[in-house]
Amino acid sequence: MAAVKTNSCRVSSLFFLFSVFSLSQSLFNGGETFRRKLEVVLNPGRLSPPGGDLLHVRAVGDNDTLHYLFCSQGAPTLLLVHTNTTTSTLKVDWDKFLERNVSGSLKVEPESSIVYSKAVVVSRLLEYDDVNDTAEATSDLFPPYDLQNVSWSRMNLSGSSALLCSSALNNGSLCLQLSVFAEEGRDQPWPRLLHTGNSSQLAVWLDGVLPRATRSRFLLELQAAGGANPLNSVEVKRSIDDEYSPSVFQVSQWMSNSSEVGGFVQWRPVAYRRSSPALEEVTPCRHSSPRRPSDEAAVSAASGLIKAFYDEPETFALNVSFGLSGEPFYNSTRFLRWTVLVGVGAPPMDTFSPLVLAIMAVGLGTPMILLLLGGVYVCIRKRAAPSAAGYDPIN
Amino acid sequence: MADFEERRSLLGDEDEGSLPSRQAARGPGRPLPAICDPSHLLHRIVVLIFMCFLGFGSYFCYDNPAALQTEVIQDMNLNTAKFMQLYAWYSWPNVVLCFFGGFLLDRVFGIRLGTIIFSLFVCVGQVIFATGALVNRFWLMEVGRFVFGIGGESLAVAQNTYAVNWFKGKELNLVFGLQLSMARLGSTVNMNIMGWVYSKVVNLVGSPGHTALGASLMIAAVTCIFSLTCALVLAFLDKRAEKILHKEQGKTGEVIKLTDVKDFPLPLWIIFIICVCYYVAIFPFIGLGQVFFIEKFNFSPAEARAVNSIVYIISAPASPILGFLVDKTGKNVIWVICAVVTTLASHMMLAFTFWNPWIGMSLLGVSYSLLACALWPMVAFVVPEHQLGTAYGFMQSIQNLGLALIAMAAGSILDTRGYLFLEVFFCACICIALMAVVMLYFVDYLRGGDLNRSASDRAKLHKEGTSDAEIKRRPSKLTEGEQARVTPMSAFGLRNRYLSRLGTQLPDHCSTHLSSLAHRSVLK
Repeated sequence: MAAVKTNSCRVSSLFFLFSVFSLSQSLFNGGETFRRKLEVVLNPGRLSPPGGDLLHVRAVGDNDTLHYLFCSQGAPTLLLVHTNTTTSTLKVDWDKFLERNVSGSLKVEPESSIVYSKAVVVSRLLEYDDVNDTAEATSDLFPPYDLQNVSWSRMNLSGSSALLCSSALNNGSLCLQLSVFAEEGRDQPWPRLLHTGNSSQLAVWLDGVLPRATRSRFLLELQAAGGANPLNSVEVKRSIDDEYSPSVFQVSQWMSNSSEVGGFVQWRPVAYRRSSPALEEVTPCRHSSPRRPSDEAAVSAASGLIKAFYDEPETFALNVSFGLSGEPFYNSTRFLRWTVLVGVGAPPMDTFSPLVLAIMAVGLGTPMILLLLGGVYVCIRKRAAPSAAGYDPIN
Repeated sequence: MADFEERRSLLGDEDEGSLPSRQAARGPGRPLPAICDPSHLLHRIVVLIFMCFLGFGSYFCYDNPAALQTEVIQDMNLNTAKFMQLYAWYSWPNVVLCFFGGFLLDRVFGIRLGTIIFSLFVCVGQVIFATGALVNRFWLMEVGRFVFGIGGESLAVAQNTYAVNWFKGKELNLVFGLQLSMARLGSTVNMNIMGWVYSKVVNLVGSPGHTALGASLMIAAVTCIFSLTCALVLAFLDKRAEKILHKEQGKTGEVIKLTDVKDFPLPLWIIFIICVCYYVAIFPFIGLGQVFFIEKFNFSPAEARAVNSIVYIISAPASPILGFLVDKTGKNVIWVICAVVTTLASHMMLAFTFWNPWIGMSLLGVSYSLLACALWPMVAFVVPEHQLGTAYGFMQSIQNLGLALIAMAAGSILDTRGYLFLEVFFCACICIALMAVVMLYFVDYLRGGDLNRSASDRAKLHKEGTSDAEIKRRPSKLTEGEQARVTPMSAFGLRNRYLSRLGTQLPDHCSTHLSSLAHRSVLK
C-alpha cells in the first residue's frame, strides 16, 4: 500500500516538474529582444513641399533595413520597402516627384537590395444610407469622399508616429496616424494589435464628420499595390485570445496566397465608436474580397508615392465596411476608428499574456503541490504509524 | 388523520354559503368530495399544482437579465459592469436574509402571510424593475432587483415549508422533485422565450429601445402575478385545511444561533471556501454567457440562450441519478474533487479552445449537479444537528456575498480585459476551490473524519454508534449543545434529510426538512 503510494507520489512529482518546466519555458521565450534603430525624417531634402508631406522612416535592423514612406501627395499612401542591407538609402527627385507624372522620381538605392515592397493606399471613404438596417452597401451610396482630392494638413510628428488629418471634411475630420515600431509591443488603445519591429500601424478615424443621412454607415476602400506577390486574399483566423481587444475573437490577414512569405496587412475585424471606447462602443466590421480595380492606372494617378516608385504596379482593392445589421449607426457617436497593421514577413500571432500564464500556472500548480505535500506527509505518517501503535487490541 | 367527529362539528359552525359546508351536506359518511377534502390525495394534488407554480415566477424572472443581456445593455446604454449590478443587487439582501428568512416565516408572519408577503416582494420587485426600463432609469431597475431579491430566496424557503407541511410522511420526495423540476423549467423557459417575447414587443412598439425592454419585462412580471395568485390560493387552502384538520401552521423549524459560528470546525470553513469559490464561477458566468457564445462561437442569439440554459436542463435528470450514486457510494470528498476538476476542465475548454460549447456546457451541467449532491450533505457530517441551521444559513450568506462581489468584479474584468481573462479568472476561482478540497481531503484524513468514508463504512459506524453511545448520551444531547458534538450523529438520518432536497429517492419517514437548502444555488 505504502509502496504504491510512494510510487504514485513520484509519478505525480515528475509530472508536476514537467509542467512547471514547460510553463516557465513558455513564459520566457516571449521575451525575444529584437530592436531596430529608427531614423525619422520629414520631407528629406526639401522644406515643406506644396501638395503634401513625405515622411521617411528608416528602420535599421541587424542585417536589413525597412523603409517606411508615408505621403499625402494625393491619397494617403504607406509604402514599405524591405532591403537586405543596412546601408540602403532613399533618393527623391523632388521636382519630378511633385509633378506626379513620371515613375522613378523616388528610389531606394541600391535597387538590387530590395527584397520586397508594397504600398497601401487609403483611397476612398464611402457612405451609404442604410434605410432598412441591413448593413449592405448596395445602391444607396452617396458620392464618395475621394481622398486624393481632400486637402491634408501638414504631418504632425511625435517620436516615430505621424498624424495626418484632413482639413474640414463635412464639418469634421478624417485622420490617419502612422506608427512605426522599433520592437515588439502593443499600442495602448484598443484593439492593441501585437506589433513587431517589422511592422507599422495605421489608425484611421472619422471624427465629427456629419453623416448625410441619419442612418448612414461607412466603408473604407483600401488598395494594395506593387511588388511581387500581390495581396490577393484575405484570411480570417480565429483566435481564442481576446485579452487585448475584448470580445473580438478574429484576426483578418490580407496576404498573398502564394506560399512565399512577403508581407501582410493585418487587422482585427472591429472598429470603435468612441476615442476611448468601452466594450459597448465596439462595432464589428467586414471586408469584401480583394479585387483588381477596373482602372489600375487611376490608382497610380491617385497616389503620388505609387506613381513615383512603381512603374506599372499590380493592384488589389477591398472595402472594409463598419457596422452590422442591428448595430448603432454612425450618427449615434459620430466617431469611428479602425486600426490596421502593415508589415513584412509573417504576421505576428497573439500569445497568452504572462499574467494569464502565471495565473494558470499558479492555479493549476498549487493544488498539485498540495496534493504532493499532503501525499508525502500521509506516506510518512503511514510508515510511522505501526511503530507508534505497536500493539493491536486483543479482540 | 382526519377526525370525522371534530371535522363535522367544525363544519357545522361555518357559514351556509361557504364551499366546504355546502359540500358537507351530501352525506354523513363522506362529507366532502375527494377534491375538496384536505386529507385526500386528490386535494393534495391540487395543492401541489399551486405549490409548484408558487416559485415559477421568481425562477422565471431571476434570469431575465441573462436572457436579454444584449438588449438590456444596448437599450439602457450600460456597460457589462453595470449590467452585472443587476445580479449583485439580487444577492445583497440575501446575505442577511439567509439567516432571518426562516425566523420571519416562523415567528413573525407565519407561513401563509409570509408566503404572500414574499410573493408580493417578488411581484413588486419585478414591476419596479420593468418600470425602471420603461422610464429609462437604471437605478430604478437596480432597486427593483433588490426588492425582487428580498422576496426571491425567502419564497423558496416558504415553498419548501408548505411542501413539508402538506406532504410530510406521504409523497414528500416526489414533491421536492417536482418543485425542483418547476424551478428548472422556470429558468429554462425564461432563457428560451424572453428573446422571442422581446422581438414581438419590438414589432408592436415599432423599434427596439427601453420601452420595448420595459414592456417585455412587464410581460415577464405576469408570471410573478400568477405566482402571487398561487400564494393567495395556497393561503386560503391552508387556512381551510387547518380549520378542518386541526393541524398546525407549517414551520421551517430552523434555529439560527450566530454564536455557533465560533464553534465551527476547520473542515466546515474549508467547505465554505469550496462553496463560495465554486459557485462564483458558475452563476456570474451564466449571467454573462449569452454574449460570450455569440461573440466567440458565432452563435445566433437563440442558440446562445439555448446553450446557456443547458446547465439547468441537464441538472434536472442528473441530480437524482448523481444523488443516488453519491448516496450509495459515500466518499463525498472524492466526488467533490471529481466535480471541481470536471468544472475546471469545462471552463478551460470554453476558455482555450473553439470546441463546440455544447460539450463544455453539458460537462458543466453534470459537474455542477454532482457538486450539489456531494458538497451540501457534507455539512451535516461535520456539525451537530442543532447547529445545522446556522451552518447552512452562514454558508448561503457568504455564498451570496461572494456572488454579489464576484458578479461586479466579473463585469468590470470583461469590460477591460475581455472574455479570455474572465474565463481565466473563473478558472482561478475553481482552482482555489480545488486547493480547498484537496486540503479538505487531507484534513479529514488526518482527523479521521467521516467525510470520505464509503457508504458501507458509514452504515457500520452508525450501527456501532447507536448501539453503545446513543443510549447513554441521548439525554445530554437534548439538554446541552456542547456535548452533542461528542456524540456520534445519526449519519443516515442526517444525510437523508439533505439528500431529499437534491431529488434522491429516500424512504418517506427519513425526510424531514431544512429550509435553508431551498435556496437557489442548491435548487438549481
